[in-house]
Amino acid sequence: MTPAYLVLCRIALSVLSVLLRKGHRQLLVLAHLIDAGLIGMLFVRLYTVGECECVLGPWTAATSIAFSVDRIGLTFVSLAFALSVAVTLYTWRDALKPYAFLLLNLLVGACYALSFTKDLFNAYVLFELITLSSFLLVGYDRKPCQIWASLRYLILSSFGMTIFLFGIAVAYYHAGTLHLDALASAVAANPSSPWITLSAALLVTGVSVKAGVFVFSLWLPSAHAEAPPAVSALLSGLVIKMGVVELFRLSGVFPLETTLLVLGFVTAFLGLVYAVRTKHIKRMLAFHTLSQIGYLLIGFGAGTESARVGALDYAVAHGLFKGLLFLVVGEIATLAGSDDLDQLVQHRDRFPRACRWMLIVACLGILGLPPFAGFAAKAVLEAGIHSTLVHALVALVSVGTAASFAKLVPLLSRPFGGPRCAVPRAVGYGWLGAAILFFLPLSRLLVPQPIWLTTFNALAFVEALAAVLLGFAVYRLLQHVPWRLPRNIFRIEEALTAVLAGFILVWSLLAAA
Amino acid sequence: MNGSIGIIVAISLFGVGTLGLILRRDLVIKLLALGLVNTSAILCLLSLDSQATSAPPLLVPAYTQQMIDPLPQALVLSAIVINFAILALALVFVMRIVEQYHTLDPQRVEHEVEEERR
Repeated sequence: MTPAYLVLCRIALSVLSVLLRKGHRQLLVLAHLIDAGLIGMLFVRLYTVGECECVLGPWTAATSIAFSVDRIGLTFVSLAFALSVAVTLYTWRDALKPYAFLLLNLLVGACYALSFTKDLFNAYVLFELITLSSFLLVGYDRKPCQIWASLRYLILSSFGMTIFLFGIAVAYYHAGTLHLDALASAVAANPSSPWITLSAALLVTGVSVKAGVFVFSLWLPSAHAEAPPAVSALLSGLVIKMGVVELFRLSGVFPLETTLLVLGFVTAFLGLVYAVRTKHIKRMLAFHTLSQIGYLLIGFGAGTESARVGALDYAVAHGLFKGLLFLVVGEIATLAGSDDLDQLVQHRDRFPRACRWMLIVACLGILGLPPFAGFAAKAVLEAGIHSTLVHALVALVSVGTAASFAKLVPLLSRPFGGPRCAVPRAVGYGWLGAAILFFLPLSRLLVPQPIWLTTFNALAFVEALAAVLLGFAVYRLLQHVPWRLPRNIFRIEEALTAVLAGFILVWSLLAAA
Repeated sequence: MNGSIGIIVAISLFGVGTLGLILRRDLVIKLLALGLVNTSAILCLLSLDSQATSAPPLLVPAYTQQMIDPLPQALVLSAIVINFAILALALVFVMRIVEQYHTLDPQRVEHEVEEERR
């Protein structure tokens, strides 16, 4: 029952935080202490007993609420916990309203539950709970641009989840179950049935709206850019990763390899193109998140265990360094009074030292340089890709990532000067920074021993360095080339049309496969 | 209701709702259209397993017919509550938008937001 307690504790504390007039932070600290204990117990059980399924009530897993305690779920629960701690420390001295604590606890509790669930309808309910809490958190400061971004997010998410519900209906009608393991057996028994294609297309479209896939998640750049820094960190580091986990689980049920490869390349390429062109740093990070989701999808679609595990590992690494980047960039943008890159460079002497150091750590992590988080995960992912074409395209994505981050180099200079940062924030940065720095040993939980031993070699080091150098060179070449990108695609109407077009694309790809 | 009629109605509702979401330039009508889209999925979930001859899923000895599957009926209750919450919160946010920009036209709101950002 430990996973259920983990979720129920957060929900109970979220209700308590509304009822109490003060002591919200103490409650949040208590929540983290309880979480740490319960997650520790789950890790011990995973290593001693192995993966198991906890069912609530006297029913079977197929008809009841069940929590699957597996390595994937536990890894993402750990990510949620790490980001929750960092956000708590980041907002330690902010005067937050009680409902912010309610929403934060609900969001983290729902992410815990979603990491453990293998039931499609439970996933639907939890996705909606995450949508509602994060939608309210995006508009927390009640600025008009935030309210507009969160409204767009809500409309597009709700539309996507309706498509997901259609997928649930089709899957249940034909397979008679919503549990992913039982559904996988039904699909394996009759793999060429048209209902499988239809339900897979509907489910993938619905989840893709939540997971940050470019054609489907056009709400993401404005929501991530306009939200308060702590919320952006949670959205980019955690919320869209829940969609990624569900896509991973769906890719184990349905034959999605080609579909995920195509969606992955489209997402990675378009995300990078927009990230290279934008000069607003939070918007750039948001587009970069899209491009990295594409990178993950390529890993899921590559069809080997190493690539799939490496992609999951990279999802966790990305959650950590993108969370840190949004927190640090949020602080320096507040100090500079703007998130325009030129303005930030002008005011860089005002930035606290901790921010500069953490910006360096997060950028090294995202660029995939050893020994940081991105390197470990990228090396495992790329070791699992056997097709030369796919490998070349993945290398191109790595070069593009370096090109998009080359514009941050002026911000990273002179890390030793500047004022001191508030202590809780510095501790929060240090917490995530340490996770990025020591990710290589941490990721051994997810990566099986044989893959681990064959992955880390001199070639991986050289590839990582070459990608960064090439990326910087590409940025120098493109820096002064005048080209404009369409911005209207992010409006509600165009974004909805893109979701429908994306559904047709996914359905066609699945039917052709 | 016959299952196939329910599915046809559900798909039609989804089409009408989606068209409303894409074509109408009024935020309140867009939210009403979103409500239609949400309802269409609920109707689809209920209709897929229903037949005109099936009995309600009640454990009453008087019913001798085959009962319809009760699980979709349990599922849609959650979906209805969620959709209600989404529409209610979205309407509150639309009210805030109208207070700020005095318009329900999403493209004008978009324009105003872009202007503010500059």
